[in-house]
Amino acid sequence: MPIIEVKHVSKHYPRHRGARALVGRGGILDWLRGRKRETFAALDGVSLSMEAGESLGIIGRNGSGKSTLLKLLAGVTLPTTGEVRVHGLVASLLELGAGFHAILTGRENVYLNAGLLGMRHAQVDAVFDDIVAFAGIGEFIDQTVDTYSSGMYVRLAFATAVHTDPDIFLVDEVLAVGDEDFQRRCRVKIGELREAGKTIVFVSHDLSIVNTLCDRIILLDQGKMLVRDTPQQTIDYYLRQVGRAAGVHTLALEDLEVIFCQGRLSLFRAGKEITAPGGFRLRLESMGNWYDSTGADWRVTVREPTRCVARGVMARLPLTLDFTLELSPSGLTWRMAMTRHREAPITVADALLVFPPDWNEWYYGELCGDFPEMLPGDLEWAVIVPMRHGVKEAAVASKQDSTLPAVLVECDAGDQPLQLQCWNADYISGTRIVQAARYFAQAGQAAATGVTELMTLRLDLGLDRAGLQQRLRERAREYTITSGKLQARVEPGAVLLSHGEQELTTDVHLHTQFLAAGLWNFSQTLLWDAVTREGDTLRIAGESRRFPLRQRWEISPAPGGIRFRLRFEIREAMDLQEFNVSLGLVPAYLRWSTPHESGDFPRDLVEEKTWTHLNRDYGPADYAEASGGGLPRVALRNRDANLPVHMTVLASGLSGMRILQAIRVPEGSPAFHLAPGIHDAFDGLVTLTDAP
Amino acid sequence: MGGYFYTSTGQRRIGRVPRDILRSRELLLDLVWKDLRIRYRYALMGFLWAVLEPLALTLVLTFVFTYVFGNKADAFRSGATPVAIVILSGLVFWQFFSNALNSAAQSLVDGKNLVQKVRFTREIVPLAAMGYPLVNCVIGFILLLVIQAVFGAAPGWHAFWVLPLFLVQVILTAGLALLLSAANVRFRDVSYIVGVATVFGFYASPVFYRLSWVLDGGLPPWARWLYLANPMAELLAAYRQALIENHCPDAWLWVWPVLAAVLALAAGVIVFRRSAPTFSDYA
Repeated sequence: MPIIEVKHVSKHYPRHRGARALVGRGGILDWLRGRKRETFAALDGVSLSMEAGESLGIIGRNGSGKSTLLKLLAGVTLPTTGEVRVHGLVASLLELGAGFHAILTGRENVYLNAGLLGMRHAQVDAVFDDIVAFAGIGEFIDQTVDTYSSGMYVRLAFATAVHTDPDIFLVDEVLAVGDEDFQRRCRVKIGELREAGKTIVFVSHDLSIVNTLCDRIILLDQGKMLVRDTPQQTIDYYLRQVGRAAGVHTLALEDLEVIFCQGRLSLFRAGKEITAPGGFRLRLESMGNWYDSTGADWRVTVREPTRCVARGVMARLPLTLDFTLELSPSGLTWRMAMTRHREAPITVADALLVFPPDWNEWYYGELCGDFPEMLPGDLEWAVIVPMRHGVKEAAVASKQDSTLPAVLVECDAGDQPLQLQCWNADYISGTRIVQAARYFAQAGQAAATGVTELMTLRLDLGLDRAGLQQRLRERAREYTITSGKLQARVEPGAVLLSHGEQELTTDVHLHTQFLAAGLWNFSQTLLWDAVTREGDTLRIAGESRRFPLRQRWEISPAPGGIRFRLRFEIREAMDLQEFNVSLGLVPAYLRWSTPHESGDFPRDLVEEKTWTHLNRDYGPADYAEASGGGLPRVALRNRDANLPVHMTVLASGLSGMRILQAIRVPEGSPAFHLAPGIHDAFDGLVTLTDAP
Repeated sequence: MGGYFYTSTGQRRIGRVPRDILRSRELLLDLVWKDLRIRYRYALMGFLWAVLEPLALTLVLTFVFTYVFGNKADAFRSGATPVAIVILSGLVFWQFFSNALNSAAQSLVDGKNLVQKVRFTREIVPLAAMGYPLVNCVIGFILLLVIQAVFGAAPGWHAFWVLPLFLVQVILTAGLALLLSAANVRFRDVSYIVGVATVFGFYASPVFYRLSWVLDGGLPPWARWLYLANPMAELLAAYRQALIENHCPDAWLWVWPVLAAVLALAAGVIVFRRSAPTFSDYA
């Protein structure tokens, strides 16, 4: 049996008119004049039925009848013709706090409001503690509501509505109130209600929320109901439909279609949406607040089939945004600029490219991997791959569905610093995000007036996964040097060594660690720039997050292996207590040796001990070596007598990884006192000798 | 589904009114309580004002008619009963009638954020608006009894006739409250008309004079009938007979008020229920 039935419902309202609002409103004057009431139809012949446990989203422009339909379902007003039948208790979150009175205490208001929603005192008693707990009000429950912050007020109202345990929830844009944390909790709660089998009717302008929360979406247009087969198609239709407005333009080329709608971009290929319903958009951060390009008032100034220029006036910032979109066979180019009319401090401008969860594979620079599944506990965005400076390329693709096109994003901000990152959004919105953020470091530059180019994004939809992987390999080749059979691939914070197809290093690979202020810092935790290549020499630099220190690595081929140079770039004088260069080798290696002694790596792993030190003599040494297991003999050697090192050999009790470590310690003083400038720190070799 | 069922076609059915109101009785009391709470919350003396206000009025009237007018008001005297008591016995009940109608008429418009957003038994709103005047009236009545005892004019056994009389008045007031509040949603003129009418009614009812003065005066018959068409005229006279003259109110004083109360209640309930489901479109 349907829980909600709406049968051929029409609703007519009296028409209001300017100053003489009473005229035509059925006022006493009209009655005397014998004038007929003039009405307009807010809803016109709407029929729908819902089964228990379904969730329905209602979208449509302002004045399309969304709220009227919700009011009819709530039983607040009657249809002019037709019938509404509802089997179950309805709580409409549209009246959050409607019955609240400022002078009553929280407790009195809860009882009053719950009473309005149809609960008896005894029923409220039973859930009262839960209400207070959910609202997080605590002691304040016995204070008058006018002492509450607006957040507490809404929380209490929401908690009351939710705890009346109704069968049907009507939700009308409530999520627009309260702070971000509360909005998130509301979304989570609504998600839970949905999973608990409650029926939910949801009205919102935020298409992404509607899309994630609703099984079914109906579109209202001038009181008439339009439905398409899938939610996606209905939203798609909605976007086209609102395309009549000034801030909307559609670009199309072959089967690719780009809809620009009030600061938001939606991409379709062969009628299928590539973007998540939230679309692609730009955000600006000023004084700690984020401003969304969708909040601007947009006007498309140049309309061509494959090109458009749009200008958006931000509502709360003294600036306009300029988007230039160009569609070509190679993809979409999206150029963003802003014009400041007054000085406005902008600290960050970031473009958010939001994809549906089906895009579950990421490509970032020369790396790739899977987006983790999103779980109900994920309330925050999660970084998927550590950010690196200088990475200008990222892509998303779908592993399981080859009909979904891979999207390659190349960004360009001239010589300005740009950060590209991949994110998983929270569980409720359930989307993948590629973020290109431009940071304005200097305050002067950030506040000046005039035109500022923000960035240009190129979206290439022409590649499939194989193409992306090919590109990845090419990119990886750029980061790889070979010396004989030894290959060294540079990744952020590590150098991976292999011999032909055989990988020699594992886990941490060739990396560095330094001890400063009592803290060990691993090279993987630094913020790395992209690799630059000069002939056969690879260079990469990583910035410490804690200390005024940058590491510069230089990797180049050398006779019998590779040369690894480490230099420290110090910005402010600082002390380093110790540092080392370590080589993490695969567990297949069996024997080790140093100039002073030699021995076997332990065969049986001692699980309870994380690290086993193998050598006893830590005197200055030039090399440490590992061999056996049919692998080429590998040695970590010091090349520069001016930078003396000590060698340590370790084995990991957990993974069995072997470590050869070249340690530099200050001789005769507690620390290296490093003045600002560049310091040579280590210059050594990793050499291979083929197994006998 | 817990037995909750809503259909838009059944919303105007009159037969459901008693059950709906009975179901919402807790809400009705909550709303009255809220009203009282809001009035007195930040007042230093809190609920004491509910007593102090009628007390002040009683004392002022007693003072004026006992010492200022003194013997000049003797014409109004009824046996040994002081004039102040005679006037108070009318005023207490008239004020309930007048205040209740005024606040009820405006109640739906004042509570429009509720009416537009939540479905509940709408009759509750004007009925709850009668709560505060009712409390005021009861307190005033108790004070009246106290004053009567102080002046040695304590009412006799026939004072119990006040209870059925008051019941008739409450029914009459409730009926009119429903009617007027519903009308005021569509035509906001109604609340002004009620304001003017209650001021007029104050003089057109035997509050400051005796009913017999009007009946024995030289009024043309049509004006007499018109005057008696106000059920409060008979009711106030009946209250005085019960409280002061200490005899059962004359039978003819009952007939029209009872009839009027039944008619008003019926009209109020029907008109209200018919228009209640679409209040939110106009409020």
